[in-house]
Amino acid sequence: MNEIPTRADEDFFCKLKILVVEDSVEMQRLLVALLESMGIVHIAVARDGEKGLAAFAARRPDIIITDGAMVPMDGYEMTRRIRAVEAGGNANPDVPILMISGHAGRENVTHARDQGVTDYLTKPLSADTLYEAIVAAVSKPVHFLDKPGYRGPSPKRSLDARRS
Amino acid sequence: MIERRPLSRLAGDEAREEAPPLDVRFIRVPSIAERKLGSDYVAPMRLDPRVLEQMQTTIRELETKYADSLKSQIAMLQILVEPACRGDKEARERFYMLAHDMRGLAGTFGYAIVGQFADSLCRYVEHSRDGDWNDGTVVNFHVDAIRDALENPGTDPAITTETLNALDRLIGSDVSERGSQRKRG
Repeated sequence: MNEIPTRADEDFFCKLKILVVEDSVEMQRLLVALLESMGIVHIAVARDGEKGLAAFAARRPDIIITDGAMVPMDGYEMTRRIRAVEAGGNANPDVPILMISGHAGRENVTHARDQGVTDYLTKPLSADTLYEAIVAAVSKPVHFLDKPGYRGPSPKRSLDARRS
Repeated sequence: MIERRPLSRLAGDEAREEAPPLDVRFIRVPSIAERKLGSDYVAPMRLDPRVLEQMQTTIRELETKYADSLKSQIAMLQILVEPACRGDKEARERFYMLAHDMRGLAGTFGYAIVGQFADSLCRYVEHSRDGDWNDGTVVNFHVDAIRDALENPGTDPAITTETLNALDRLIGSDVSERGSQRKRG
């Protein structure tokens, strides 16, 4: 955290489009406020996975930030459908998907990874954790597995939850 | 911008596996920064301490609003606990949603102990059966602990830790007892 930021970094966040899929109004408010603090202005919000898929196709976000447990469709199923390239129309099927969940157990992280989640953040969320995850999502090239019915991060890779 | 990669260059378990079937490819997906910034992009993007400070300020600004909301949520938990334990499905759902919200948010806004008790309550509810609610002891204990953590934030951390450990043991023994009953059944 001691590097001097470049001008390009500041401009960059203005160009990002982010979709937040979250059923808690309080959490939506927090995430939107934190993203705005980063200089991100194009933020869409959906309150469950089903509406998230519709927003994904309509808004074509660069990054999706999603909750895990939601009804009627949760974040895991939404991720599965995006990685199955079922839902996007012209939207970017390689979109990084960051899941923020209150469930910190290994089985939840593994399940998220198997559906194609890029990064897994546990609640309670801190500013550092969110910022680092977004910077990682936008700056690192990734290696995807592409096979019939699935295009996304390898389900066999190691994925640890980011904890605040 | 898509690049085919030979298997031998892959890291981790994938490198030791057999060759994938022909309809499986490994592809390099360019980063968002590469796509948007093109040749101006210098990896990795840097973390800006000013941005982080701004984000932390945002959290502090939201704290007051959250404190009011948390008080209302805890008051609602106290109202819902009785019908929830009596078997009212809607009350149980609302009760769990409130606890789930607290588990996720309280820690971010400086109410770490509230968040920990809410987490314990959520885990109990997630593993509970109808009969567990009828007694209500564990659920009520959690609600009292959450309210106490909000009203008395200066409680000795050792007492809090011991209480959480005791709840963990209680919840754990409930779950394992249920497992034994299933095996016996």
